[in-house]
Amino acid sequence: MIPILGLVLGIVLGIVLEPGLPQFLQPYLPIAIVAALDALFGALRAYLEGTFTDRVFIVSFFSNVLIAALIVFIGDQIGVGSQLSTGVVVVLGIRIFTNAAAIRRALLHA
Amino acid sequence: MDLLKQVMEQPLDPDYAVLARRGEGSSRHRVLLAVVLVALGALLAVAVLQNTRTAGARATERSELIDRIQDQSARQDQLRTELENRQEEVRRLRESILGTKEDKDLQVELDRLDLLAATVPVKGPGIVVTVDDSPGDTSKGRVMDVDLQQLVNGLWQSGAEAIAINGHRLSARSAIRGAGSAITVNYRSLSRPYRVEAIGDPNTLQSRYIETAGGIWWSSLAQNYGMRHDIAAASELNLPADAGVGLRHARKGS
Repeated sequence: MIPILGLVLGIVLGIVLEPGLPQFLQPYLPIAIVAALDALFGALRAYLEGTFTDRVFIVSFFSNVLIAALIVFIGDQIGVGSQLSTGVVVVLGIRIFTNAAAIRRALLHA
Repeated sequence: MDLLKQVMEQPLDPDYAVLARRGEGSSRHRVLLAVVLVALGALLAVAVLQNTRTAGARATERSELIDRIQDQSARQDQLRTELENRQEEVRRLRESILGTKEDKDLQVELDRLDLLAATVPVKGPGIVVTVDDSPGDTSKGRVMDVDLQQLVNGLWQSGAEAIAINGHRLSARSAIRGAGSAITVNYRSLSRPYRVEAIGDPNTLQSRYIETAGGIWWSSLAQNYGMRHDIAAASELNLPADAGVGLRHARKGS
């Protein structure tokens, strides 16, 4: 219950308060979202398989977001920002899809 | 390949299994979990809101840029017409100033050079070659800049003295380029069909052109891809002048 409520509360707060992100972080927002989604789907799958621990979710959330943003930031500095961003999105996307497939299997079979 | 295998076969953080085996409870950090989830939700909402907000601004920017491009193109055409008018005026003034016999010789020489440099309109007999894309298969049957280059080459080879494509005169500095899906001559886009007029000896121009590499190239294009390649003789062709871009680095040689 808490996770769903927390997520919904977060979305509502985001729409209502509209917090502004500092200007230099704006370009990394989409990548951070994809990384966060990857952590979220991983957590969902672990929960359905019975192996969920909030500690692992919290750590993977922060590390995913930070590392993805860092990779794109370094890519921007050396000039391959868009290519690295594409690479990160592809890898995270594959992980999200695989986890989503496992979630679907767990939900529809159980 | 190991990375791809790992990404596809191990999408779940293996720490989940490790900690589950160790038997740690799943609700040790409830508060932090809630905070992280709220942050995630807020992040999502902010990103979506920003994206939908800026979509309108981006569309306006784009249409503004398109308007500016069109304005500048119109201005360019305007400047070109003005350039042609000024050059015509310069020529008239030159003719009216040059009066003595020496000047008359100079005038004849200037006229000859003008003709060769394509800075004055010319007229004479010649042929008109009309080419176009094939009506059916448009992916392979499109006229490209190389095709026009071959055609013009063939015409020069067969003795053409002045050539114009769709009313744009070719001079010593003219380039036939492909830009995107359009062909440009003298930096102006051409629209189909392409009408190539060449002034030369009407008796031999056509027969010699067909035997040149350009003529053979186009015969095979017409045969294999069904592209249009019509040659017609013309008793009097009027080709306009090329306003030209002038010379900045080339000087009189010795």
